[in-house]
Amino acid sequence: MLEVERIRVSYGAAPAIVDVSLAIGARELVCVVGPNGAGKSTLINAIAGLHRIDSGALRFEGNELARLPPHRYCDRGIAIVPEGRRLFTGMTVRENLELGAYRRGLRAHRGQSLERVCALFPVLGERLEARAGALSGGQQQMLAIGRALMAEPRLLLLDEPSLGLAPLIVSALFETIRTIAATGVTMLLVEQNVAMALDVATRAYVLEEGRIAAEGTPDDLRRRPEIRRAYLGLTEERT
Amino acid sequence: MPSLALLGQSLLSGIFVGALYGLLGLGLSLAWGLLGQINLAHFALAVLGAYLTYQLAAAGLDPFLTLAAILPAFFLLGIALHWLFARFAVSVFNSLLITFGLTVIIEAGIQWIWSADFRRLESHYTDIRYRVAGLYVPLPELLTLVLAIALSLGLWAALRYTDFGKAIRASAEDQAMAQAFGVNAKALALLLSGVAAALAGVAGLCVALSYTLAPSQIYAWVGVVFAVVMLGGLGSALGPLVAGIVIGVSEAITMALTAPSWAPLVSFSLLIALLVLRPEKL
Amino acid sequence: MRTLGALAAAGVLLAFVPALKLPAFYETFLYLIFHWIVLATSWNILSGYSGYFSFGHGAFFGIGMYTTATLSTKANLPFLGTLPLGAALAALLGVALGAIVFRAGRMRGELFALLTLAVSYVLATIILNTPIDGGPGVSLSAVAIPAIGPSPPSTFYLLALALAVVTLAIAYQVQRASLGRGLFAIHDDEDVAEVLGVPTYRYKLAALAISCALAGIAGGIHALFVNYVTVGETFSIVVPLSVVLMSVLGGARHWAGPAIGAAIITALLYAFTASNYAVAGRAAVGLILIVVILFLPQGVLGQVLRWAQRRAPKPKGSGLATARAEAPIQDLTPLLSATGVRKAFAGVQALAGVDLTVRRGEILGLVGPNGSGKSTLINVISGHYRADAGRIVFAGADIERLTAHRIARLGIARTYQIPRPFAHLTVLENVTLPAMFGHATLDRADAEREAWRWLEFTRLAAKATALPGELNLHQRKFLELARALAARPQLLLLDEVLSGLTPTEIDGAIALVKEIRAQGASIVFVEHVMRAVMELADRIVVLSYGSVIAEGGPAEVMERGEVVEAYLGKAHA
Repeated sequence: MLEVERIRVSYGAAPAIVDVSLAIGARELVCVVGPNGAGKSTLINAIAGLHRIDSGALRFEGNELARLPPHRYCDRGIAIVPEGRRLFTGMTVRENLELGAYRRGLRAHRGQSLERVCALFPVLGERLEARAGALSGGQQQMLAIGRALMAEPRLLLLDEPSLGLAPLIVSALFETIRTIAATGVTMLLVEQNVAMALDVATRAYVLEEGRIAAEGTPDDLRRRPEIRRAYLGLTEERT
Repeated sequence: MPSLALLGQSLLSGIFVGALYGLLGLGLSLAWGLLGQINLAHFALAVLGAYLTYQLAAAGLDPFLTLAAILPAFFLLGIALHWLFARFAVSVFNSLLITFGLTVIIEAGIQWIWSADFRRLESHYTDIRYRVAGLYVPLPELLTLVLAIALSLGLWAALRYTDFGKAIRASAEDQAMAQAFGVNAKALALLLSGVAAALAGVAGLCVALSYTLAPSQIYAWVGVVFAVVMLGGLGSALGPLVAGIVIGVSEAITMALTAPSWAPLVSFSLLIALLVLRPEKL
Repeated sequence: MRTLGALAAAGVLLAFVPALKLPAFYETFLYLIFHWIVLATSWNILSGYSGYFSFGHGAFFGIGMYTTATLSTKANLPFLGTLPLGAALAALLGVALGAIVFRAGRMRGELFALLTLAVSYVLATIILNTPIDGGPGVSLSAVAIPAIGPSPPSTFYLLALALAVVTLAIAYQVQRASLGRGLFAIHDDEDVAEVLGVPTYRYKLAALAISCALAGIAGGIHALFVNYVTVGETFSIVVPLSVVLMSVLGGARHWAGPAIGAAIITALLYAFTASNYAVAGRAAVGLILIVVILFLPQGVLGQVLRWAQRRAPKPKGSGLATARAEAPIQDLTPLLSATGVRKAFAGVQALAGVDLTVRRGEILGLVGPNGSGKSTLINVISGHYRADAGRIVFAGADIERLTAHRIARLGIARTYQIPRPFAHLTVLENVTLPAMFGHATLDRADAEREAWRWLEFTRLAAKATALPGELNLHQRKFLELARALAARPQLLLLDEVLSGLTPTEIDGAIALVKEIRAQGASIVFVEHVMRAVMELADRIVVLSYGSVIAEGGPAEVMERGEVVEAYLGKAHA
């Protein structure tokens, strides 16, 4: 469904991602883990059209994405839950959700989509007229996910959804992610919280200093030393 | 202590002048708050619009019909201005300086075409006055008030309830995110800039109906309208009108109670207070 | 000194012009040029240097005009005596305004511009409505014009000439002095300037006072020149907008820029008016402003100087042997201790009671998952933020309530995760500044030598005259480092100095950090590149959700259950 082929992305003058390739098949929940500064956000932003790619190819359902203007990515069926939520804090919960369904052809189903999202996140349904900026951290995360779901995406991108959330809320969050995956939405999840990420993923990649250091199923990766090394700096010799 | 009738008339005239402030401030506020453009040339455009109204009306056209030519032209000018700012990635502060340059150019142009002599639009609206509850209500000022209310409410409703309006508000807050959900932020920005400039044209019509025109008119309102815009809240559609009327009435009362020349103190003192005490509101 | 000498010489030379017995027109024309040179240059001392564009210069000019008008007519003071009074009054108003406005720290440029414009209008209204003017204006025809020159126009010419020379000299001196350096830094990044030791509040007030005083004198002279002072003419929008235009055109970052702009614009307008194209002249001026802002942001002089600098041969290093700093004290006594430090932002508790000690001579690694509060802690220690609660003691002094520049003077320096160099200062100037304002407080010559030393240390010497925009990320990170070191700090706080670097560059940086510690600084560094932390840190402190959850030797700490859990979650522990 999504093919990323040897892309290189720079952040300002410095290369943030070098020669990264990955693939996501339909209905998969693929996870990219790695320490901070590894380039995870840059990677997912590039796939969402928020960041330019220097070289390499980005294909979604067979179509080349890299040359599209930023506002056309959504049309193709890609929606993002960005790092830090990036809600429209001055607007209401309802308006944020409706904006998720802004793209062509969705206005007809907007009412239905809104109901579905409120069924998934009852708290949002209760606070539809509240200002997005007034919600708690966990509620804002739900709203950000809801907004993306309103776009009826075929590929849902999540960038560090657990950031800044208390542990209890993070558990609930990952439950929700499982539920969404069960409805058949293909997902790419970028996370720093390795344990929870590997618990929900069907496949995972480890990103370290801008390159793919390892890939495989969650079980595979739990056994291998790359993760401990990348995050904790621990190598076999030291332990 | 002035009579009740005098106070009443002052109040009314304050409302009328406030409506004009609000109308002048509307386009400025939207461009500044939603596009990050401080368009000092907004006043020059309005006065240019006033002169154009005057000229076309002198050719026999009803002043309101002149809008049919002025609005599209100004709309295009607004688009061109935003395109320029986007192309050169002009900062908010530099937009102030550049539009100052533009103001000077427009002023020179006005003076070259129409000379510095005073001009007055003579139309059948000018002399009509109604008598309501013992107070005089001149038609041109009444029309200005009606236009100001209609446009402010209309824009407020558009921003609040239409998809375009919500897209513009979202884009003003986080352009990249709005684009990520399909909003063509760049096109909307050009559209909004065009609308702001067209609003200057409408304000120009109102100026032409009620005031004598001279190139120096451009600077007469800069201070007070900036005060109105900032006090009303940047990017707000109703704010300029409300703030404008508040300031207009305060000025009028001040004038009635003391002397006309004390009036500017009101708006500027309020503005200074706002900037010193609550700059984060801006 | 040569420049001042040249200015004085030019002044003396030009003082002989009245002896040429030219028609009054020439002396009047030259008077106007000097008049605008003074107004534009004085404006530039605050606004051009610091970036706080004031649209209220007319107010201070107006105070000068009306002080002279009032005192010389109503109080019968001799004309020349009114000038210093006008200057003092204008400076007083300026400082009063600045004291209130600058208190809150940085104010957005456009808001400051509009605020000063509003002040101008308020002043005009007050003067118009009180006996100072009252409406009809003030006539100075009865005031005696001092006989400094052979004729009244010559007198005004000479007065304006003298004032212009003085103003230019002052602008030149300010630019060269610490005040000027500080203002330029404030222009680029006021927060960083404060953290590097620049007393931003004081400097802005000083520049404002000087600017207003000079404008006041210019106003005083102009009052007698026009002979009839009205509110409309004095406080019209022409003065504030013209000074902006002239300075931007000539080059706002140089003491001579506004003078060049003033000369060009005045001459241009005169030429157009003389040939009956006054209107076209004004349009041309507007067009020039737009073109300059878009294409020539440094102004005419700025652009010329940039070209000249590119051609100039690159200066070599200082040539001095890099003397060792104070012998490294590694006695491991506490240098900094933080207790119970708390900081919240809009509902998020970033620091929830942090207890931390840094010992002399150690390299302390500060690690933790994203959002654990590491950068916030650095910001609080360096004074960028003020802690909500808790105590921080550094070298015996309580610093949690101090402003950032005082903390810098005490000996704490920091780098920023995303480099924040002063964009318009060269690499050398960037590093010289903290040497002047930081812990070391050196004078300019010594500061420059110190800067060279650190540029060589960080291998940036070849780029000394480049602007930061010309450096790549690696070089900019090292510039951050050189800047922090130039202050000769006792405690160095490094915020993710390695992020974004290639593996080879990281190795180089690690070696550099070791050398820095060998030179005597104690270091706290926040890092995610774990292999660097393992190699460098003597001790590690792990933060999670705003509190310390572990500390100790690197390998030992990172293996502890609670640490692994903080990073990877329960499953891996």
